[in-house]
Amino acid sequence: MQATPETGAGACTSPASWPLATLQARMATALMAGDEAGRQLPEALFAGALPGSEGLRVHRNTVLGAFSNALRLGYPAVERLVGEAFFDRMAVEFARAQPPVAPQLAAWGAAFADYAGHFPGTEMLPYLRELARFDARFDELARRVADEQFAGVELAVDASVTLCFTAGLLVHSSSYPVVALRDAVLADDAAALAAIDATAAEHHIAMWRASAGVMVQPLGSAAARYLRAALGGATGEQALAAALIATAPGQLEYAPGSEADVAAQLQREILRARFVRITTNDNAVTGAGQ
Amino acid sequence: MSQSIVSSPIPARAGIGLRLPHQALVAATRPAAAWFEVHPENYMADAAALAELEQLRAHYPLSLHAVGLSLGSAAGVDAGHVARLRALTQRLAPGLVSDHLSWSQANGHYLPDLLPLPYTAEALDIVCRNVAQVQEALGRQLLIENPSTYLCYAAATLSEAEFVAALVRRTGCGVLLDINNIFVSACNQRRDARSVLDHWCQTLDRHSVGELHLAGHALVATSGGEQLRIDDHGDRVCAEVWSLYENAVAHFGILPTLLEWDTRLPDFAVLQDEARHAQQRLNAHAHTAAERDPVERDPAERGPGARAHAGYA
Repeated sequence: MQATPETGAGACTSPASWPLATLQARMATALMAGDEAGRQLPEALFAGALPGSEGLRVHRNTVLGAFSNALRLGYPAVERLVGEAFFDRMAVEFARAQPPVAPQLAAWGAAFADYAGHFPGTEMLPYLRELARFDARFDELARRVADEQFAGVELAVDASVTLCFTAGLLVHSSSYPVVALRDAVLADDAAALAAIDATAAEHHIAMWRASAGVMVQPLGSAAARYLRAALGGATGEQALAAALIATAPGQLEYAPGSEADVAAQLQREILRARFVRITTNDNAVTGAGQ
Repeated sequence: MSQSIVSSPIPARAGIGLRLPHQALVAATRPAAAWFEVHPENYMADAAALAELEQLRAHYPLSLHAVGLSLGSAAGVDAGHVARLRALTQRLAPGLVSDHLSWSQANGHYLPDLLPLPYTAEALDIVCRNVAQVQEALGRQLLIENPSTYLCYAAATLSEAEFVAALVRRTGCGVLLDINNIFVSACNQRRDARSVLDHWCQTLDRHSVGELHLAGHALVATSGGEQLRIDDHGDRVCAEVWSLYENAVAHFGILPTLLEWDTRLPDFAVLQDEARHAQQRLNAHAHTAAERDPVERDPAERGPGARAHAGYA
């Protein structure tokens, strides 16, 4: 059996003769350690003009700073809300708990929203996790290519009408008004932030990537159910049935009053939306999405 | 589309490191620049940025300067990352592809830094194996850059230049010589930077060098009050590095030279200005060389990048 860096012969020998695998394992551990004792490596390992601990400090600052910067790019509203220093603390602790396994850091950190939402000191911000989830969605969409051709899911409403959705369209649901929260935080608008009713209630948003950037549109519950079903591969009848499902008593959800209400909501929020194009079987194109 | 893009050799002129905050401006205005270099890792999870870069690629020669191959990892290179880099090289057809003489993967995790290697026979074997594997996968030559160092290992038996020269001989890779890194490392080890550069000049096959890098750095104090230079790419190139660069050009010849700037990113015009300073020095050397040796061959044909498409072996 091949010896591991921690159990192999190198672990018992002089630091200066550690195999490279041992050196790299020990240094990686020291760079990520949160406690002072764990950060130390034997000075006998080094021979430079400066103490090895100074060089390690430079590398540790670079590594941890890069982690913070990577997450900062993906979670700008979270950083603005909690402040740079607190954000860095969360980011570094998250990196220690769930370090990346690959160099493309933009794709790392999806679990940061849950981590931030439970981080000690954030108890006064019950909506932080939801805001972080929305930040992450926003960032994910921003890194997609805009679709101007409505090349996403198609839904046959009936024999003659088809809805063509923009590629990458998604429905984001949250228990807080994250659009208003994010806008206020990023605008540094304390008055607007204070005026938001941040009690838990269900909110739905259609999100897509246009050439102008990431677009968001609030959706009612019925429209969200319809769109989610459509994007999930439902037929037109199934999507309509999903929209008409009655709300169970006690659920935090907008309850449509009647089929007419649902139809009006779908007309207003789906058929006239900029993320959809309506085609008919004679190839005519209608709708606000064109 | 991507299939129609033909690889353009990187000209022996001063190019600019293109960073994402400048990319939209560059795409919209197409400013004067001899060529651009980008970090491929920034495009591996950003389809929007990649699509924009692909459009730029039609107008500028492009070099890919990787930071994540971890060529010094004892555990070997990440096949998934190599595959992603291969896909990008096929899509963008860069004139040069490079990465660093460093490691950044251990314990199954990625550390976003260029961590130093001990220059030993064991490390040389490992880096040679990894470089050969990447070159085989990409089907082209890699340029390997000397990193800035803040540590020296007691186990080292070779100088950095000797290590790189051996790597070149054994793998057929080329060298991306970072002049700022030579200066930063020399100062941090309390050595004379000119002497260190002279050692590089004496040790390397001059034709193995395919690109030069220039950047600014920061001067800080250690906890013990000593001076430490940090390669943060956050300032203009300092006078000492410009002087070293002139010496390097005098020895290695006129080569593609890149201005890097990563932290405290200024307006793009500042980067263009720095590139102009480098170009002036290249022009001055060309003038001097032409007077001394009027039949000297076209400098654009120099360096391993010129033979990158003819095979690296």
